[in-house]
Amino acid sequence: MQRFLLATGLCVFLFSAPEIFAQTAKGPDEELKEFEKLMDQEILETMESKEYEEEKPLGSKELKRLDLMEERLKKVEGVARQRTTTFGTRGNALGATSTGVNRLFNPAISLNGLFTGAYRSEDNRKGSSGSALGNEFDTGFDVQELEFNAVAFVDNFLKGVMVLALHDLDAIEIEETYVDFVPFQNLSIRAGKYFTPFGRHNLLHAHQFPFIDAPLANVAVLGAEDGINEVALGINPILPLPWFSEFNFLIMDGRNDELFDSDFSDDLAYLMHSKNLWDLGENATLELGASYAFGQNGTSFEDTRTHVVGGDMTLIWSPLNRTRFRSLIWQSEYLAKFKSGAFDPTTAAAAPDEDVGGVYTSIQYQIHQRWWIQGRYGFVGLHQDARADEDTHRYSALLAFANSEFQSIRLQYNFIDFEDNGSRGFDEEHQVLLQLNFTIGSHPAHTY
Amino acid sequence: MLKNKSVPVGNLLVAWCLGFFLFGTPANVHAKLHIVSTTTDLAAIAEEVGRNLVEVNFICRGYQDPHYVDPKPSFMRLMNQADLLLYHGLDLEGTWLPQIIEGSRNRKVRFGQMGNLDMSLGIDPILEIPQGIVDRSMGDIHPFGNPHYSMDPVNGMTLADSMAERLSILDPDNEKTYHANAEDFKSRVASKLKEWHEKLHDFEGTRIVTYHRSWSYFFHRFGLKYLGNIEIRPGILPSPRHLAELAVEMKRRKSDLILNANYYPPKWAELLAKKSGGRVAVLPVHIKGEPQVNTYIELIDYLVDQIAEKLSGSAGK
Repeated sequence: MQRFLLATGLCVFLFSAPEIFAQTAKGPDEELKEFEKLMDQEILETMESKEYEEEKPLGSKELKRLDLMEERLKKVEGVARQRTTTFGTRGNALGATSTGVNRLFNPAISLNGLFTGAYRSEDNRKGSSGSALGNEFDTGFDVQELEFNAVAFVDNFLKGVMVLALHDLDAIEIEETYVDFVPFQNLSIRAGKYFTPFGRHNLLHAHQFPFIDAPLANVAVLGAEDGINEVALGINPILPLPWFSEFNFLIMDGRNDELFDSDFSDDLAYLMHSKNLWDLGENATLELGASYAFGQNGTSFEDTRTHVVGGDMTLIWSPLNRTRFRSLIWQSEYLAKFKSGAFDPTTAAAAPDEDVGGVYTSIQYQIHQRWWIQGRYGFVGLHQDARADEDTHRYSALLAFANSEFQSIRLQYNFIDFEDNGSRGFDEEHQVLLQLNFTIGSHPAHTY
Repeated sequence: MLKNKSVPVGNLLVAWCLGFFLFGTPANVHAKLHIVSTTTDLAAIAEEVGRNLVEVNFICRGYQDPHYVDPKPSFMRLMNQADLLLYHGLDLEGTWLPQIIEGSRNRKVRFGQMGNLDMSLGIDPILEIPQGIVDRSMGDIHPFGNPHYSMDPVNGMTLADSMAERLSILDPDNEKTYHANAEDFKSRVASKLKEWHEKLHDFEGTRIVTYHRSWSYFFHRFGLKYLGNIEIRPGILPSPRHLAELAVEMKRRKSDLILNANYYPPKWAELLAKKSGGRVAVLPVHIKGEPQVNTYIELIDYLVDQIAEKLSGSAGK
């Protein structure tokens, strides 16, 4: 009963914002008709108002604002303008505080907040989230993440980035801290801790995820925490090919517990990624990528390495003429890891290999200027042998309302099907997730 | 504990990658200076100034909203080959251009380099610089002022001068040619300027509704005025109340022209026209925004003719 009430509450909460969600049930024509009806009422009220009869100025805030703007224009045009040099960028000259400290050189700072509500039909033991594949959220409400982002040029060579993340209000993590450097034409170098370019999804911060949760394949193969987020030195050239082709080669410290957990400090890990993009006319692009990483995963007299492979395909259709406000993103990824079992010197036996692979494919379709509908299918179970965990399928549907690029409200439904269930005690699960995502401050643009 | 490793694969990879990518990539060699501009307006003027000495490409199409451009990697590839980047500045391209510059791995066009030219630096005055505190409750406001300055033909002449100056620094052998080309362009614009003023002279002071404040510099030059804007604030869709107020005000002032840049949805303008008895003109605001608009002079010519024609017979001021 409680579960039912919670699920109902989440849905009612979401759909009780009529101004936002009423639009989903209507086509564009019907929506415009309703707008026109409301406008007619407003015109009628205004025409019947005392002010109109007496032919006085309307005095609306909007018209006052316009008059003010006209006045300001006149002022601006009369003011002798401070000119900057032709080598700089025109900007606000007000930089100094009352203490004489110049704020112009402060980093661009932004904060992002993710508030989530979740309902799970199964396994509502407190703290069960994250204990198994597919249950990233507990039933209830939570602050999923607060992110602090600071970006600035260090000097004429380096750009510095720092991203701190506060998870579940109880742990602060240095999610990224790195510098970028372009030493030669066609080549950039990145050094620090960052989300490595292993496929498409691994690059994303939580607030950039196309869905509220990460794809199953990423969680199962790369780890539930941050995927392959490593202290690394990476070189990233653009290859001289007839299409956009970027290659990444990274030397990583190899601290990822899921993949590279060697006890030896000289056991580095390595990652390679190739990203290729073609324009399909002016409204669409096709991206194909391939990734490979390897490193030692345990202490042994023998090599016990983990090999991780991935392939990704992304088709984006986004008409340049925004009068239609339609776009579509179709993204698919394959990820797999082949982890040799570590040698245990106490038993003189090697642990079994841990091989697992998965795929996901998702479609995001913008149906209106501010509305998106999305679907995703994910599967984990490739390359597993008979001793391994069960296969898992997840079907997701999502409805998103984005009033601007700085905030969105998203409602997601997941159906998870666990095949050959062993220890869970259930073989199906339904989830409803709700998320408010907002950004304040000067946030850098997201990657294409 | 001893370790027994078979092949130093990592070391080999490091050596190979460093060797190939640091020293193996060919340098860019151009017979012509390669210019990349953010908009078609800047591209067209750059072609006038550089002529056969330059090769010009642009990122944003003439019928595309320059506020919102996807930073596609293909643009990074284009920028990778550039000797000179021209952009409007004033935050017009602020959400997408930095990513293209960084992704290009082209040191020449990075901020602060000679190959990076913010065209707003030569523009004076900059209109509509917000006074006081600026925040996002004001919509997608441009904190440094209105960036649509290329709509004023006098600014078009200033842009040509700025480009000639910078091209002369990058290619000093052809300094005289760049300046001569700029002077030629300016003289053609100047001769048209009188004609444009004459065509719009009778409509000075006329109040016009527009979707966005893309027209401020054009209005400023030719003495036209805003009655209001369809969007409530920059980038914010209109409400019924806002459009109703505009409709009533249009009737009161007998103002009947609504200008809608051709990359904004026309449905709000059409609805406003229906309620106010006005008429809508959907017009390009950038070169190549329509098939018949391929040069700077053609753009201003087209806008002046269209607006003069629409205002003829209108009683509103």
